[in-house]
Amino acid sequence: MREITNEIKAEIKDMIFDYYAEECEVDKASINDNTNLQDDLESDSLMLVELIEMTADKFDLDIKLQSIGKYMLKTPMNTMSDVIDMFCKVYQFGNDIVEQ
Amino acid sequence: MFQKVFLFNGIGSSYEKLLAKLPPELNDKYSYYYEIACARLGLNKDIEKNLGYDSKIAQWLVPFICDRVIYEHFICKGIIPDIGMGYSSGIVSASACFNAIPHEAAWDIVKSHRSMLIALDEAHEELDTGIIVGFSYDDLSELLNKEFSPEDLVIGSGNSAFHAMISGKARAVEKAVELCIKEGALKAFRLNTGTAFHHSIMKKYSLEYIAYCDDLKYNAPEYPMMSVFDFSVLTTAEQVARENQLNVYTQMRWDLALKELEQLGATEFFDISTNGSLSKLSRVGRKCKIYTFDDIFS
Repeated sequence: MREITNEIKAEIKDMIFDYYAEECEVDKASINDNTNLQDDLESDSLMLVELIEMTADKFDLDIKLQSIGKYMLKTPMNTMSDVIDMFCKVYQFGNDIVEQ
Repeated sequence: MFQKVFLFNGIGSSYEKLLAKLPPELNDKYSYYYEIACARLGLNKDIEKNLGYDSKIAQWLVPFICDRVIYEHFICKGIIPDIGMGYSSGIVSASACFNAIPHEAAWDIVKSHRSMLIALDEAHEELDTGIIVGFSYDDLSELLNKEFSPEDLVIGSGNSAFHAMISGKARAVEKAVELCIKEGALKAFRLNTGTAFHHSIMKKYSLEYIAYCDDLKYNAPEYPMMSVFDFSVLTTAEQVARENQLNVYTQMRWDLALKELEQLGATEFFDISTNGSLSKLSRVGRKCKIYTFDDIFS
């Protein structure tokens, strides 16, 4: 397991908010932990794939999309808080996220 | 050397979404072409007023007209393609925009799908397509080949390293979607098209389309086209004719065709759709960029 610091968590959160603000053409200030991905942002799975690719590049992670898909079966992504939590787990556990 | 590539959108996006993204400045041109096309095909220019099969044809006509309007806008802006490529029925759009066939022929081709819809209904054949996000082509092939025969289900198009369209019998598509979700797809869903584009089963239902393509007189395209079936560069009338004939019932590899274009030097890809649908499902290398209509128009 990879250690995650509060700084990394903040960096991940900031990256995610920046990403969705740009992709969904909304003001970053209007996004918070409770923002709903579909109802508020109309985001789609292709945006999520791009975010996964971006995160893998940024933090040098080797992650299979299916691992995230299996995790999402158990833990659906509804709000921004869910997304942040998942990406922090991806950072920590990589493909073992399925077991979390 | 092919640097600039124009990517032509096929039938798929809802017509409402396509039209919502068309800027008011291009609306007049769109309406003008749409009206002429409807008059030729015997359709009402108000999409909602068409009934039954005509309703589907009127909707399917929209991406063709949008592609033409945007293509002409790009050309007016001085963005000239070195080569083009069509996604599924985008092949017909590309052929028309590159003057390999008249636009009127492209509209007639759309109308020829009417007999396909009728034949499908008469045969009570339940077909469908679906989208799988989160599997590579090889991983998806391996998973599906264990469970389904090619007669029931195929990958209709490999779109990118994580995106594919499946096609076949409706029950098989439904089961494949369930299987993929269980195995970790980020998203998997049926499109409820009632057709199985890019599955060989469509050949027997597309006889009018095939006959029309066979009889049509093709010209050499103004700009070359990339084949999504065998990844060759199409420069002659005969080659473009074959690409059109194969369409509808042949599996395609959009992902490999994009790779081939990169190998040939392509770095700038222009998504000709109004809503950037091709840019979303396509992936190109780091040295390349896919420009959407929004990028160019704004």
